[in-house]
Amino acid sequence: MFILKHLFCFALKILLLRKGVIYVINTVLNADEINQLLRRYGVKFGIYKNGQFKEQFFPFDPIPRVIGADDFRVIEKGLVQRADALNKFLFDIYHEKNIIRDGVVPEDFVYISSGYLPQCEGLTPPENIYSHISGIDLVEGKDGEWYILEDNLRIPSGASYPLIARELTRMASPDVFKTNGVADNRNYANLLKDTMDFVNRGGINAILTPGRYNSAYFEHSYLAELTGASLVQNDELFVEDNMLWQKTYSGGKTRVGTLYRRISDEYLDPLTFNLESLIGIPNLMEAYRSGNVAIMNALGNGVADDKGIYYFVPKMIKYYLGEDAILKNAPTYLPFYEDDRDYVLKNIDRLVIKDVAEAGGYGVIFGSDLSDEKIENLRQTIKREPRRFIAQEVIDFKDLPILENGEQVMRKADLRAFVLSGETTRVWASGLTRFSRNPDSFVVNSSQGGGFKDTWVLSR
Amino acid sequence: MKTLNFSFSTKLTFDNYVHDHTFALRCMPVESPSQHTVSCEMNISPFVPTRNTMDSFGNTITAGYISKEHRFLDFEINGRAEINLSNPKTDFMPCYLYNSAYTVPDKALKEFYIELSENCSAETPFDRTAYFSDKISDIITYEKGVTDTKTKASEAFALKKGVCQDFSHIMLSLLRLDKIPCRYIAGLACCDGETHSWIEVWNGEKWFGFDPANNCPVNEDYLILSQGRDFGDCSIDRGVMFGAYTRQLQLITSNLTEVY
Amino acid sequence: MSNISIEHGDRLYWLGRYAERFFTTMKSLERLHDKVIDRDSEHYKKYLECFGLPDTYGDSKNFFESFILDKNNTCSVAYSLERAYDNGIVLREEISTEALAYLQLAMDKLYGLKGNSLKGLAVTLLPLQDIMFSFWGCIMDNVHSEEIRNIIFCGKYVERLELYIRLKYRYQLILREFERLCTVLNRIPENTPYRFNEKQLSVMEEIIRDSERYSDSRNEVLSALAKLFEPSKRKDLVT
Repeated sequence: MFILKHLFCFALKILLLRKGVIYVINTVLNADEINQLLRRYGVKFGIYKNGQFKEQFFPFDPIPRVIGADDFRVIEKGLVQRADALNKFLFDIYHEKNIIRDGVVPEDFVYISSGYLPQCEGLTPPENIYSHISGIDLVEGKDGEWYILEDNLRIPSGASYPLIARELTRMASPDVFKTNGVADNRNYANLLKDTMDFVNRGGINAILTPGRYNSAYFEHSYLAELTGASLVQNDELFVEDNMLWQKTYSGGKTRVGTLYRRISDEYLDPLTFNLESLIGIPNLMEAYRSGNVAIMNALGNGVADDKGIYYFVPKMIKYYLGEDAILKNAPTYLPFYEDDRDYVLKNIDRLVIKDVAEAGGYGVIFGSDLSDEKIENLRQTIKREPRRFIAQEVIDFKDLPILENGEQVMRKADLRAFVLSGETTRVWASGLTRFSRNPDSFVVNSSQGGGFKDTWVLSR
Repeated sequence: MKTLNFSFSTKLTFDNYVHDHTFALRCMPVESPSQHTVSCEMNISPFVPTRNTMDSFGNTITAGYISKEHRFLDFEINGRAEINLSNPKTDFMPCYLYNSAYTVPDKALKEFYIELSENCSAETPFDRTAYFSDKISDIITYEKGVTDTKTKASEAFALKKGVCQDFSHIMLSLLRLDKIPCRYIAGLACCDGETHSWIEVWNGEKWFGFDPANNCPVNEDYLILSQGRDFGDCSIDRGVMFGAYTRQLQLITSNLTEVY
Repeated sequence: MSNISIEHGDRLYWLGRYAERFFTTMKSLERLHDKVIDRDSEHYKKYLECFGLPDTYGDSKNFFESFILDKNNTCSVAYSLERAYDNGIVLREEISTEALAYLQLAMDKLYGLKGNSLKGLAVTLLPLQDIMFSFWGCIMDNVHSEEIRNIIFCGKYVERLELYIRLKYRYQLILREFERLCTVLNRIPENTPYRFNEKQLSVMEEIIRDSERYSDSRNEVLSALAKLFEPSKRKDLVT
C-alpha cells in the first residue's frame, strides 16, 4: 500500500577555488527526500497575507554554500573582532561615552537613533554582555572578498533553519558527509545554552515568544526543545520582589534567571516603554535593573546596529581593540562629512542611498532607479538633512547555484553568520544562506519568497 | 532654604474585580543637591510588598504586584523635604537635547519656533526660556478638560489650550529646537491642590527650573517627584492589570506646605 | 515537580483528548462503514443520533466524506487532527519535534486523500492509524517527565471513555476503559488542575460498576465525567 516514490538524485560537482587550494566536493543530495523531511518536521515560517495568518514551508535548496577552512578562519576572526567591538561600544554608550567625547562617533548619530534607549543609561547587563547573539549579514563579492552588509544585534533569527536542515540532510544523504569533512553545525544549541547559562542570574532559562502566530515561531519552539529552555508567553510570567517568575499550573512559581526574548524592546515592558503593549511583562525592567534576570539580547542594542552607526564600526574596532578591521564594510559615505557629501552628490546615480530613520528594507533607494527629477530632489534633501542618510557603493556580489525545476541556475545570496558572546566569543561554524528566487532581485528576504541553503564550513 | 511638608495620595477604584495587577509608582521625591527628603512614609492598600529601584533619570520607582482579586488600589506618601536652590544640580543626560515622543514638533510648531527665534535677541538659555514662555502664555490659554495625558505638544499647540503638562511639552519642544537641553518635571507646588508640571533647563553647567504654565521661574515652593524627557518618563503611577472591569476612577489629592 | 505552566497544562490535556478523538473517530467510522456495506445503508443515522445531530447528509457517501475530510465539521476526523496539531505545535519542547512530526505527517496524509479513496475506508485509514500508534509510542519514549505524560494520557482516556459511552460500546469495554482511566487519574498529584474531583469520580464509579444501572444512566456518567476536574470544595475550617 505504501507506494514507493521514485526519487531522483542529483549529482553535483562543486569546485571551490581559493588561495591555491582546490576542493572537489561530490555532493549527491537527495533534494526530494530532504524537502519531504522538512515538511514532516514542520520547518515553516508564518506570514500574513490579506490579514490572514498562513504558514509556509521555507523553500530549501539542497546545494550548500561551501566555505573553505582557510576562508572561514578569516571570517571567524573578523566576526569575533566585530562582535567584541560592538559589545564594548554598547557598554561605552550607556556608561562613560568615551567614544563620543574622543570625537570618533559624532553624538548626533547616537542619540537620534531610534535604537538608543535613555531608559538603559547606566544600566549594566549581567557579565557586561549586550549582544549575546549577533546575526551579522555578509556577502561575498565577485572579487572574492567578504563584505559586511549589516549587523543584527537585537533579535536576529534564522539559526534554526540550517540547524534542522543539516540534521535532515545527514539522514537523507549520509554519504555526502562521509568524505567532505564538513564541520558539524549541530552544536548551535550547546553554544546557545552555554550563553544562557553563563549570564543566568539564578533560575531557569526561558524563551519568550509572542506566540504561535509569530513568523519565527518554529525557531522559538525548536530552540526551546534543543536547549531545554522553557518556551513562555508573557501572560505566564510576572515580576514580584523585582524577580521574574513563571507561574506553574499547580499555583506555584519558578524563578527565571535568563530570558531569551524574541520580542522587541519597545514592547518588552509596558510600564517603561509602550504602555499599550499586550505582549510585554510589566516591571521586567525593574527586575533587570536590579540584576535579578539576564535579558538576551540586552535592551538598547538598536543603537549599535543602526544604519548610521554601521559606518563607524571599523573605527570602533580600532578605538576599542587597537586593531584594524579584518572584514570590510561595503564602501559607505556619510553626507554628514563634507568630502563624502560632495562625492555622494556627484555619484548619486550609481549609489544606494539609505534613510537612517527607516527600518527594515524601507528607505533604501537605488540611485540608478530614479528619474532625473527625483535625483535632483534627493540631492536637495541630502543637502538639507545630511545626517539622515548614508550612501553605499552597489556591491557586485557573487551568485550561487540553486536548483530550479531540476536545473541549475544562478541567484543572489547572502550569509547570516551567528556570533555568540558568553564566557568567550564564538562563531557558529555554519550560518543561514538566503537566496533570492527572482533572478533580477537583490532581496533575499524569506517573506518575499526567498529560500535558504545550508552553509558548510569545511574542517580541512 | 525652605522646609516643606508634603502629602500625596491617589485612590484608584475599579467597577469590577481585577487581578495580576503590576504597578510602578514614581512618587517618592527625587533626591538631589537642591532637594533632600528628610522623611517619607508610604502606605499602599491593599497591603503588598514593594521594591524600590532607581531609573536612569534619577527617579525612585516603587514596584509591586498583586495577584489576588481586588477592586481598588490606594497609595499615599507623607513626608518632609528641604529645598535649597543655591546647591546646583548637574546631573546631565544627552537625551535631553533631543525631542522625544511627546515633544516632536510638527510643521506649525517648527514655523512658530522660526518666528520666535528671529525675534528673540536674548542670548542665555535662561533669557531665551523666559522669552519663549512669555510668547507661549500670550497664545495658549490654560484650560482643563480639553487635553489629556496622551496629548502631544503639537496637538496642544494646535488647540491653543491645555494644562500645565501641555505648557511644559510645548516649551520643551521649542527649547530643543533651539538646541537647549531641557527636561520635564512632575511634582507638587505650594498653593496647588493637584500635581503640577514644569520644566528644567540646562544652562551649560547646571539646571534651573521654570514654570511655563505660570510663566515664572521656579523658586523653593516646588517639590520634584519625577523627571525625564517628557510625561512618558514621569507618570506618577502606571499599572497593568487583568479583569472584567470597564472603568477605573482615580482621585488624587496633594498638599505642600511650608514649615516655619 | 516539573514547572508546567497553566497554558501548557491545558494544552497537554487537550492534545491527549484530540489525538484520541482523531483515532477513536476513525475506528468507529470504520466499524460503521462495515455495517453500511451490506446490512443497513442508513446506519449512519444511528451514529448521528449518538451525538444528537440531524441528518443533513442525505446518504452515507456524503456522510463519510464530511466526517472524515470536512475541517468545518466539529465531529470529523480532520477537525480533531487539526485541533490536536494546534495543541501540539505549542508543546514542542515538552513532546519533542519527533512526536510533533507524526501529527504533521498525519495531516499531510489525510489531506492527500481523495473522495473516492474512501470506498475502501478501512485500508485507506490504516496508514493514519499506524502514524498514531507511532505518535503514542513517541510520547511514551520521548516525554521524560511522568507528570507531563500523565496529563496527556489523562486527556486521552477521558476522551476515549466519553466517546465509547456516547457511541454505546458494549459494557465490558466501558468498564475496561474506566479502569484504565482510574489508573491514570490516581497518578495525578493532589493540588494540580487535573487532580480528579472525588465526588464526581465516585458517582461514576457507583454507576459503572453496576451493569444494569449503567445502561439506564449513561447521561449521568457523562455529566459526572464533564465535571471530573472541577476543583473540589475546600472543607470549611471550624474555628
